[in-house]
Amino acid sequence: MVTTVLFYAFAAILLVAALGVITARNPVHSVLFLVFAFLQSAVLWLLLEAEFLAITLVVVYVGAVMVLFLFVVMMLNINVEELRSGFTRYLPLGIGVALVVVIEIANVIWFRSEGQAFVTPTPHAADYSNTKELGGVLYTEHVFALEIAAMLLLLAIVAAITLTMRTRHRPGLKVQDVPAQVAVRAEDRIRVVKVGPVKE
Amino acid sequence: MIDYALAAPEIFMTAAICVVLIVDVFLRQEKRWITYTLSMFALVGAAVVSLLFGTDSVATTFSGSYVADPAGNALKLFAYVIVALVFLYSRDYLERNGLYKGEFFVLGLFGLLGLMILVSGNNLLVLYLGLELQALSLYALVAFNRDSAAAAESAMKYFVLGSIASGMLLYGISILYGIAGTIELGPLAAALTEPGGLTVPAIVGLAFVIVGVAFKFGAVPFHMWIPDVYQGAPTPIALYVGSAPKIAAFALAWRVLVEGLGPLHVDWQGMLVILCVLSLVLGNFLAIVQTNFKRMLGYSTISHVGFILMGFIAGTENGVRDAMFYTIVYVLMATAAFGMIILLSRRGFEAESLDDFKGLNQRSPWFAFVMLLIMFSMTGVPPLVGFYAKLVVLQSVIEAGLVWLAALGVVAAVVGAFYYLRIVWYMYFAEAKDSSPLVAATDLRTAISVNGLSLLALGLFPGYLLNLCASVLG
Amino acid sequence: MESIYLTIVLAPLAAAAIAGLLGSKIGRAGAHSVTILGVAISFALSLYVLWGLAFGDAEPYNGNVYEWAKIGNVTIAVGFLIDNLTALMMVVVTSVSLAVHVYTIGYMHDDPGYQRFFSYISLFTFSMLMLVMSNNLMQLFFGWEAVGLVSYLLIGFWFKRPSAVFANLKAFLVNRVGDFGFLLGIATLLYFAGSLDYAEIFAQAERIQGETINLWGATAVSALTVACICLFVGAMGKSAQVPLHVWLPDSMEGPTPISALIHAATMVTAGIFMVARMSPLFELSEAALAFVIVIGATTAFFMGLLGLVQQDIKRVVAYSTLSQLGYMTVALGASAYAASIFHLMTHAFFKALLFLAAGSVIIAMHHEQDIRKMGGLRKYLPITYWTFVIGTLALIGFPGFSGFFSKDALIEAVHASSLPGSGYAYWCVLLGVFVTALYSFRLLFVVFHGEERMDHHTKEHLHETPAVVTGPLIALAVPSVIVGWLTIEPILFGGFFEGAIFVRPEHDVLGEVGAEFHGPGAFVAHALTHSVTVYLAAAGALVAWFLYLKRPEIPGQLLERAGALYRLLANKYYFDWINENVIARATRAVGTGLWRVGDQLLIDGLIVNGSARAVGAIASAARRVQSGYLYHYAFAMVIALAALIGWFALRG
Repeated sequence: MVTTVLFYAFAAILLVAALGVITARNPVHSVLFLVFAFLQSAVLWLLLEAEFLAITLVVVYVGAVMVLFLFVVMMLNINVEELRSGFTRYLPLGIGVALVVVIEIANVIWFRSEGQAFVTPTPHAADYSNTKELGGVLYTEHVFALEIAAMLLLLAIVAAITLTMRTRHRPGLKVQDVPAQVAVRAEDRIRVVKVGPVKE
Repeated sequence: MIDYALAAPEIFMTAAICVVLIVDVFLRQEKRWITYTLSMFALVGAAVVSLLFGTDSVATTFSGSYVADPAGNALKLFAYVIVALVFLYSRDYLERNGLYKGEFFVLGLFGLLGLMILVSGNNLLVLYLGLELQALSLYALVAFNRDSAAAAESAMKYFVLGSIASGMLLYGISILYGIAGTIELGPLAAALTEPGGLTVPAIVGLAFVIVGVAFKFGAVPFHMWIPDVYQGAPTPIALYVGSAPKIAAFALAWRVLVEGLGPLHVDWQGMLVILCVLSLVLGNFLAIVQTNFKRMLGYSTISHVGFILMGFIAGTENGVRDAMFYTIVYVLMATAAFGMIILLSRRGFEAESLDDFKGLNQRSPWFAFVMLLIMFSMTGVPPLVGFYAKLVVLQSVIEAGLVWLAALGVVAAVVGAFYYLRIVWYMYFAEAKDSSPLVAATDLRTAISVNGLSLLALGLFPGYLLNLCASVLG
Repeated sequence: MESIYLTIVLAPLAAAAIAGLLGSKIGRAGAHSVTILGVAISFALSLYVLWGLAFGDAEPYNGNVYEWAKIGNVTIAVGFLIDNLTALMMVVVTSVSLAVHVYTIGYMHDDPGYQRFFSYISLFTFSMLMLVMSNNLMQLFFGWEAVGLVSYLLIGFWFKRPSAVFANLKAFLVNRVGDFGFLLGIATLLYFAGSLDYAEIFAQAERIQGETINLWGATAVSALTVACICLFVGAMGKSAQVPLHVWLPDSMEGPTPISALIHAATMVTAGIFMVARMSPLFELSEAALAFVIVIGATTAFFMGLLGLVQQDIKRVVAYSTLSQLGYMTVALGASAYAASIFHLMTHAFFKALLFLAAGSVIIAMHHEQDIRKMGGLRKYLPITYWTFVIGTLALIGFPGFSGFFSKDALIEAVHASSLPGSGYAYWCVLLGVFVTALYSFRLLFVVFHGEERMDHHTKEHLHETPAVVTGPLIALAVPSVIVGWLTIEPILFGGFFEGAIFVRPEHDVLGEVGAEFHGPGAFVAHALTHSVTVYLAAAGALVAWFLYLKRPEIPGQLLERAGALYRLLANKYYFDWINENVIARATRAVGTGLWRVGDQLLIDGLIVNGSARAVGAIASAARRVQSGYLYHYAFAMVIALAALIGWFALRG
């Protein structure tokens, strides 16, 4: 009973936070709403006994990704008005489509699921370790998927570097050569020339 | 026990990517050919490994998440050939346009690895990861030319839309997992056939999965990225995006829809019929009004996707075989068509307008003829193989009782003839805008000639390829 | 064996491809070497195949080499049917082709299109082999059209001459008429037999004969008769039978080797071959046979007459070809298929010989073809003269020469026939013998004997042609003399074509002739004592000698007396005039009318432009969706998803 109440409460906050992400006028506020939404999802996962995922979500997304994101948003001077110009125009249609989807899903869940059993899972014992179980299947049953994920990360690194690192070796382009500057000596810069007397 | 030998091609490819990646770091620009050569060797090596470790039977490993079967092996071998062609066609162009970097080949191989995983994936999670692995490398490739605003814009569109599509796919997978309690394809199908398994929520999950599949194919209305990406990306990358991933899309549809969601055939048949009709109609009509050749090819792809879907719509063993046949044929044609653009391009000049084909016959009668073969094959003129591909898919939908769809397909093919034959008309009957002769490397000329002639050879002997498709699938 | 058959077909094709595509690289010598090699390989292997079938223990072969397509229950395949009939044709085609290849080296020596020419004639050899070796109607049709195409290209080989272009267009158009009939015939057979394969069609011949087609209202006609007559219309086009013969004399615009190879020895006999091949069908339809025999007889006699008034050396030979093709057709109509093929074979040799000899004369005369400017060439061109004499004797049926055996057997067979129309045919072929001898000796005497009428300049340069020209002449002269004596017995009476050609017992006229046959020597003796043909031929030769050597002023006087008849002949019975002024004009009028109303008003105006406008409208509407805005795209995807769920999840 308590879990049900908690679930609906946090789910409601999650929805509000998600709405906030797209309605906030200030992009920084949007990001903060997103952080908020992540936190709510983490709580929902806790309620589902997925403790490890919940902690990971908070540590990785809230702690690392979103902070980085926040920096980026603050550094870029985003013109909010321009971004929002389409928003109000398409709002009615968007709401309409969203409502249709909601009605469809709701319809399916409540009226069309005859014969489909949604069994409530039995809670685990107190000494059950979600992390250990997850580690168990991750490195045995799903080891192939895990390896692919590793390649995915490698690919992400390669792609990011490819798209961002610029080597400036184009001929004619003037660049600063720091080691050369440091290694320079006075005699390279100044040449003392003895000039004989000049007679007119 | 895990049988690593079954996954030998993927393991080899992973190792090869790492080697290419590391070697490339230590190379100076003028030694870049080493990366190219190494990548080619990686493809040849993968082919050797696939042939050595290929099985005649179906076997799974990695706790049922990987499946090795003859069809997968054949698709992988075909994919090596196509990627090798892509690299070969691209090298010259990349060099001329200052894009000759090792990352192109590394990303290309990454995409191939994703394709291989997708082809051999036996559970929904692995399929999803394979799809992402390929998609991510494609996004990076499209944005590869950082000095081009058009490329960046199209990469952005591709990335965002692709993310939405894969998010929907993932959501669909989660619904299916919730219903069936498994993500492995065989057990999933078994669970759906059990009494009470086929329910409305499963169809909702299916709808989401279809979005993912259709996006990968580029079927209307999930096609919007195709014309923009084809036009925006540098030609070698459009070539890559337009060729190998179609094999991946076929594999995804085949694994997920036929093998995993077979019991829902009636439902996905209906959905695919809608996508197929829209693709045929919109793809063809929009292709007519294009003036950019790459964009036209984009819309033509969409209409070809309509034909590939026809094979799946039938859903029978023959239908899947026909879809596979069409996919292979289409990929060959698309590779050749993009190869022709590269051949016509020069430094700083992209031959991507339809006008650039004018008077090609005066400049190079041989390549005008090769282009004629490609265009005739795309139209579906016998005895080129494109005709045969259309014939078999049309037959399969007729067998499925959808005569009206076959009739529509024929009408679409006739409409399509207009814009393909317009190119032929330009080549032979219009005055050349510039009459300079074609200059291109010998390997490029040879490869394109062989590529074009293969369309004729396969058309004269279509039985071999068709029987091959049937035997590896059966 | 399959690989041998494939080699036979593909060797000339490969040679043609090399000579045609790489012509400029391999040069003249390269082009003729490679094509001659290709044809020589085919010839040697064809001989081997024929030897195996005739003397060895090789079995006839019937099988598909490659299945190209399967549409419904109909298989379109490339396959070979190799029996004695095919093997004989293969040897005839490749041997004549080989001789012509060698001859061409000399004839086309100075022509700029040397490599192109060799490529074409090799391509022709390939097409002709595909035609004769086929085991199904589709491939037959392919070969049929391919030889027609090459013929078209070669007639117009000197495409800068307007007359050549006119002639090749004419050949093309007339053949289209024939091909239309041919295609109808194939379609009829396909419809009733459900197959294109010879063996499968023949197996159902009896049943097809029972089926009927309503052609005019309620008049039911046997489907088999319709199919056979349609097929024969195709043969009429290709084998130049009246009234579709008009293209053949004009085809002499092409280079002479072509006239010999295509328009005398091989391609024009394709129709004869096809009817013989289809004998199991024709045998069942007397109406079709009667049609065949009447057309053939008309061609044999009336076209021979035209040879009398021609002044162009090649045209005389061309009309003689028409007449001889008529003979073959008559034999077909009389169910003496073997006699027809036998005559086809002997004719191929001696007619090729005559054409090549005529070509040799033309070379020596510096491409002058008018016989009024020749005369007395005997002493300048001895080899050409003697080979020409041999060809002429073979043509008129001098006892012992090859033409004698084939023609005499053929006439006897027609005599023995009791089909409707055979009486008319018998008189036509009999009188034709006289006419043949008359025009043949007229040509011989006018060209090689009598007064020398060429101009001074030509006369100075007259000398025998080179060895590459005379060599093939001699090579062809040998079979022209002996091939009849050697082969009449097995081919006509020895059951050589058993299994390949089918004759119903009541039509077996050759059997009747064969009952009185006791060896070639006795055949000659029998002809001298019991038959009128030899004496008719002798009379023809004698009249020619009298008119053109003894009293050369008589022909001119005859012309004045019989002006109307002469005009009729000189205008070739006004066939061309009718074609050009009636048929062509009427067709053009109908065409113009249809174009105005159908094309411009309906199709262009309503359908093409209308649909183009519709396409434009749809496209511009659809284009608006492809706006380039990311959120439009994403939105479209979400809407589509909602629609999919709405439709499929909530419908039932």
